[in-house]
Amino acid sequence: MLGLGGGVFLVPFLNLVLGFPFGVAAAISLTTVIATSSTVSAGRTGKQLINMRLGMLLEVATAGGSFLGGVTAQFVSQSALQRMFGLVAVVVALIMLTRLRRRNVILDPAAEPGLLGGRYHEEESGGMVTYRVKRLPLAIAASFVAGNVSSLLGIGGGIIKVPVLNAWCGLPLRVAAATSAFMIGVTATAGATIYYGHGQLQPALAAAACLGVQVGSWGGLKFGAAASSKWLKVLMAAVLFIVSAMMFVRGGG
Amino acid sequence: MKLERLIGVVLRAGVMVSSTCLAVGLLLSLATGGHAMAALLLNVGIVVLLATPLARVIVSTVQYIGERDWLFATLTLVVLLELVASAVAALVFNQRI
Repeated sequence: MLGLGGGVFLVPFLNLVLGFPFGVAAAISLTTVIATSSTVSAGRTGKQLINMRLGMLLEVATAGGSFLGGVTAQFVSQSALQRMFGLVAVVVALIMLTRLRRRNVILDPAAEPGLLGGRYHEEESGGMVTYRVKRLPLAIAASFVAGNVSSLLGIGGGIIKVPVLNAWCGLPLRVAAATSAFMIGVTATAGATIYYGHGQLQPALAAAACLGVQVGSWGGLKFGAAASSKWLKVLMAAVLFIVSAMMFVRGGG
Repeated sequence: MKLERLIGVVLRAGVMVSSTCLAVGLLLSLATGGHAMAALLLNVGIVVLLATPLARVIVSTVQYIGERDWLFATLTLVVLLELVASAVAALVFNQRI
């Protein structure tokens, strides 16, 4: 909906409200993230919204970060992970609030897309939009961090990648969101596989959560279209501040 | 855009197979209270879910090799190795318990 899969809400719900250990909550959340990524990306193929070449290049960084994060998570205490989650929730909330009025980058239709750029048909303006990828090292660094945070905390990491790709790397917002969602499947798989091997991924719970999220994301699309996205962002940011405070309290920070 | 269509088919098939296994497995486990068949279906569903992005990367690697696009063949191969590394790590953690 907003370049946000919902893991950032699902993990605290499972951990703080339902009382599952942090690792179990993260593992369940990662499986729902994979299911969402596969479903959403399958529906978007052929529309040139997903920049596959850039996605596959950045996946090298997200999957590497995710692998390291997944291994690290097995050795880090629950309270440290909760404090880390609290910190990331605040950052996510701040990103959301500062990007309330951010629009797509302005594009020159005559530009050459280059090796990694692309063209896509924008429905709003009805024209072809061409974009080039700028500051590739920054995109790679953001992808590595997003992958790392993803498997440590059980979130997709789109909220870290999408603003960077849109604001600094030249990607139109819709392309950034679609490409990020496409990469997230591979990113979360690297992390979730490790949790599964460690026995923290309980199949029945993951099944219930995956099916629930499939229904929920369909409902979210309907609701998101009706509600004002500005107030939705403010509301979500407010929830994240509360989540962050609770994580710090539980984590003993 | 042949690769993109192929990836769409792989993702759609993966989601359908895994959702079906998870839904049937969940209903079966609720109905029978933890039948062995239910546990099997749930685990198959999870493994298919985890294997779907992996299959998508394998399809891409094969396609890029076929096109002799060595840069992207190498990149997707590295992603593949990273996913294999996490599967190896999973087995290592599994042995430890």
